[in-house]
Amino acid sequence: MKISLEQLKYYVDIPVDVNTLCDKMVMAGFEVEEIINLADTMQNVVAAKILKITPHENSDHLQICQMDVGAAEPVQIVTGADNVFEGALVPAALHDSHLPNGMHIKKGKLRGVESNGMLCSGEELCLTDADYEGAGVNGILILKDEHPAGTDMREILHLNDYIIDFKITANRPDCNCVLGVAREVGVVLGTQFKAPVPKFETCGGDINDYISVDVKNYDLCPRYIGRFVKNLKIKESPDWLKRCIKASGMRPINNIVDITNFVMLETGQPMHAFDYRDIKGGKIIVRNATDGEKITTLDEKEHTLSSEMLVIADAENPSCLAGIMGGLNSEIKPDTADLFLESAKFKRDNVRRTGRTLGVRTESSGRFERGTDIMNTEYAMNRALQLIYDLDAGDIIDGTIDKNAGLPDERVLTVDANRINALLGVQIPFETMVTILNSLTIETVLNGDTLTCKIPSHRDDIEGMADLAEEVMRIYGYDHIVGTAMKGSVVRGKLLPERIKANAIKKLMNALGAYEITTYSFISSKAIDTLNLAENDERRNAIRLINPLGDEYSVMRTQLITSMLTVLSTNINRKNAGARFFEISKRFVPKSLPLTEQPLEIPTMSIGIYGSDEDFFTLKGIIEELVSSFDMKPAFERSSEPYLHPGRQAAAMANGEAVAVFGEVHPDVAANYAINDKVYVAEIRLDLLYSAEISQKIYKALPKFPAVTRDFAMLCDKEILVGTLCDTAEKAAGKLCEEVKLFDVYEGAQIPEGKKSVAISVTLRSSEATLTDSEIETVSNKIISKLEALGAELRK
Amino acid sequence: MKTKLEAIKNAAMEEIKTINTPAAMEEFRVKYLGKKGELTAILKMMGSLTPEERPIMGQLANEVRSAIDALITEKSADIKNAEKIKKMKEETLDITLPGVKKEIGKLHPINTVLDDMIDIFQSMGFDVVDGPEVETDRYNFELLNVPADHPARDMQDTFYLAENLLLRTQTSATQIRTMEQRKPPIRMICPGRVFRADEVDATHSPVFHQVEGLVVDEGITMCDLKGVLEQFAHEIYGPETKVKFRPSFFPFTEPSVEVDVSCSECGGKGCRVCKGSGWIEILGAGMVHPKVLAGCGIDPEKYSGFAFGIGLDRLTTTRYKISDIRLLFENDKRFLKQF
Repeated sequence: MKISLEQLKYYVDIPVDVNTLCDKMVMAGFEVEEIINLADTMQNVVAAKILKITPHENSDHLQICQMDVGAAEPVQIVTGADNVFEGALVPAALHDSHLPNGMHIKKGKLRGVESNGMLCSGEELCLTDADYEGAGVNGILILKDEHPAGTDMREILHLNDYIIDFKITANRPDCNCVLGVAREVGVVLGTQFKAPVPKFETCGGDINDYISVDVKNYDLCPRYIGRFVKNLKIKESPDWLKRCIKASGMRPINNIVDITNFVMLETGQPMHAFDYRDIKGGKIIVRNATDGEKITTLDEKEHTLSSEMLVIADAENPSCLAGIMGGLNSEIKPDTADLFLESAKFKRDNVRRTGRTLGVRTESSGRFERGTDIMNTEYAMNRALQLIYDLDAGDIIDGTIDKNAGLPDERVLTVDANRINALLGVQIPFETMVTILNSLTIETVLNGDTLTCKIPSHRDDIEGMADLAEEVMRIYGYDHIVGTAMKGSVVRGKLLPERIKANAIKKLMNALGAYEITTYSFISSKAIDTLNLAENDERRNAIRLINPLGDEYSVMRTQLITSMLTVLSTNINRKNAGARFFEISKRFVPKSLPLTEQPLEIPTMSIGIYGSDEDFFTLKGIIEELVSSFDMKPAFERSSEPYLHPGRQAAAMANGEAVAVFGEVHPDVAANYAINDKVYVAEIRLDLLYSAEISQKIYKALPKFPAVTRDFAMLCDKEILVGTLCDTAEKAAGKLCEEVKLFDVYEGAQIPEGKKSVAISVTLRSSEATLTDSEIETVSNKIISKLEALGAELRK
Repeated sequence: MKTKLEAIKNAAMEEIKTINTPAAMEEFRVKYLGKKGELTAILKMMGSLTPEERPIMGQLANEVRSAIDALITEKSADIKNAEKIKKMKEETLDITLPGVKKEIGKLHPINTVLDDMIDIFQSMGFDVVDGPEVETDRYNFELLNVPADHPARDMQDTFYLAENLLLRTQTSATQIRTMEQRKPPIRMICPGRVFRADEVDATHSPVFHQVEGLVVDEGITMCDLKGVLEQFAHEIYGPETKVKFRPSFFPFTEPSVEVDVSCSECGGKGCRVCKGSGWIEILGAGMVHPKVLAGCGIDPEKYSGFAFGIGLDRLTTTRYKISDIRLLFENDKRFLKQF
């Protein structure tokens, strides 16, 4: 809500400077978004009288003016305009002056003649005819009123003012107007607030002879007030009225429209003016639209309506979208002779919904949406009529049409004052509470400890003790709230088991050199196509946002891989040499589509690595570390993820489920992300990890007896998996086996086609005694025979 | 003979001074004490001495031998020592060469800050809970005292997934779930992702993070709220930090306040960071609205509580002086490494 400080001062005494005012208002709940000092825009420009004009010797279009600028001596200024004359009062920008258009004027010579400034046109002062009569002419602005020479132009143009932009919170619709803010200013500064008391004279007649009003839906329109004005004189509004409207960001149009807008800005009650001759049948009907009914609004847009929307119609057609915008057909025109004036209350959620549906939002609908005061309709109407009367804009016909389904009773709240202090934790004297509430126009009396409060109709937001506590506190001052320690015993708060496990995983991943990343939960609808997924892959069943910011963020992700690939791509393209990343987040899996209930949010982790030191096995190492930190014994099996290289991927299986799927990214998929390097990714089901326990640590006695290591080198078929060889050796070694380690795999020169050379070392140890040669011999032979049984040819 | 022995001894003592390598030392030893050495040669002449002279000369010869031996032992140690010093000198490193590091990953800066916050609130007895990111209209709005078509819905642009399903705009939804599941006393925080339809720019992101806090018990006051937030501010911004309440509006708290802390950059004098005001807005808070308590089956006549919501991303960007929120979601390793 933008308000001119000068206008505000009309209703309330403001004996402090603008910054003090704003600071105090902020501490009372009215945030100030901006303070605009209008005077900043124009400096050192004065009204000056032309004493004498002489021609310029070296120019046929320049003239030399001797100017009275209020100083002892005249000042010489050269001008190129030809509309100046001796005796004219004009704006003169003196030496070292600033104009609102950004110009900085200094003295200088024009074709050899000294000029100590510049005479200004309306345009150079950023004025139009609407701001100052005659400002639009091509030439120097000739001031119409008499001012002493030397008067600061800011005074003449009313620029010695500030525009304050207050941010009004949603609970205070009563402050979406100048009077509402002025009332608060009065409370905050402790000064007198004076609302105008509307007075006007009527010219006789009876409104009922001209028009009738029928409200068909009191639920959506609880009150409708109408008045009638004849013999309109449509003209321009006076300057003060135009200034107020412009200060609040609206555009002056003509006296009648300006009055309705001014009253809305002043009182918060939107008004609407109808051209009487366009109200067919002399009937105003407040009714729901019929489905498919059409209206063309003031902005010349046609809207197709539906039956839950409210319109103000005449005997035939809708004339107005109730509370939102008037119809083009019944707008006030330069020759409008008779006026029907509306001041009504429309239900806020209906106005909001209609506005949203049609995509229309106006100063009026904004106020109705936030809620208007049903009792204020009458005051606003009288205020508008007063202005019509004062500005001699027409003749006011007797009689008011006031249609309502009963006005609300005055609300009275009784509250134990002790509870207010108990909630706040402070000791505000009860009398102070009474004083504060009364200053806020909440009539309050104290009986014992009980406050009895009459809630004014403009304070619908006050419903109970907590609301009154806030009213008291914001005026009493939040500085009185002093931090205290909560009562009750304090035990350290608990973490959910999932968070404890996630923390353990993060610690491990960091130790493995991986950086944690954070990416959006929604992705592009096309992202899923980058993964080579089959048509029926369930990961394609992603939840769509109804109103995404754009396709880029339009579906909830069903996997974390595409986000990880994007991050890998970013890093590779920025020439970061290599990296390990991980993300712990959620996959969103709908139970059905279209969505009817909350989807599954499955905790999931992704890993992505690349760089010269990374390959399938470094990723496998990470997975092994990760899984083994939980009570889980995974088996690695070949997997078939379409986005991974078919021969370089695996799943870590536990209890029949894939805890992790990982491998080298399929080159086609990598290409979709402009990745030419080899990158490796994994997706881990944290739900499975979370359901396992973190491995319990129990001390195992350090070995007392020496270990013996035996190496086994063998030649075997290429297809035999090293894992099988190692498992076989481990089983054969039985309980003496401490560790089986692969130390070499080789294919190529000197190895027969279809074969490979594998070398493993087996560490044997007994916890009871040093192993004897014969024991070692027996175990070695067993290992050899089992390996040979697999078809391996042992190299002696 | 005695003279000869004396001469050998003296010669040895002279010569040893010139020796400074292990090889020369060995040569010296052979020369004087070896089988063909000078002393041996003299001792071979013992036979020509009288029986009376022999023990005297023998003793003398032994004395000379042990004297030379001692010289050798002493000098050898010196040489060894010198060699060691020389070797170590040669081994001197250019200690400005870079250390060899094993790369250690880092948490995302948002989570580093979050972990600090969790620690602070845990120590004050707050449990850490979690809630769904896809919420129902009921939990995200209605039970938080924001009915359909209420103007307060304009405060947040909501992403919808279905008519009554949306991406939560505030972690406050978890307040409701917590109050439905637990009975007072309640002390909890809920960190999590929230979503609002804001176009991406340097200070806005459609996905961001909040930490919600909720306390419900008998006799909880607004001063308790300030006490908790002061504790938090002191731990995060330093013990000198001041906390200021400014009246504000949230549908689910009453009274509601915006909470400012004195600018940690300038100590409240006013600077570029706090735009000259000396204060930085860090969170919104208030006393839980009686309607919200009642909606969750908690008697507002008996219990009171407070709630607060902290923007984690903002806290992160101000702590590390990150100029653009988009950096948090870009995940450039050079960025992530810095925290």
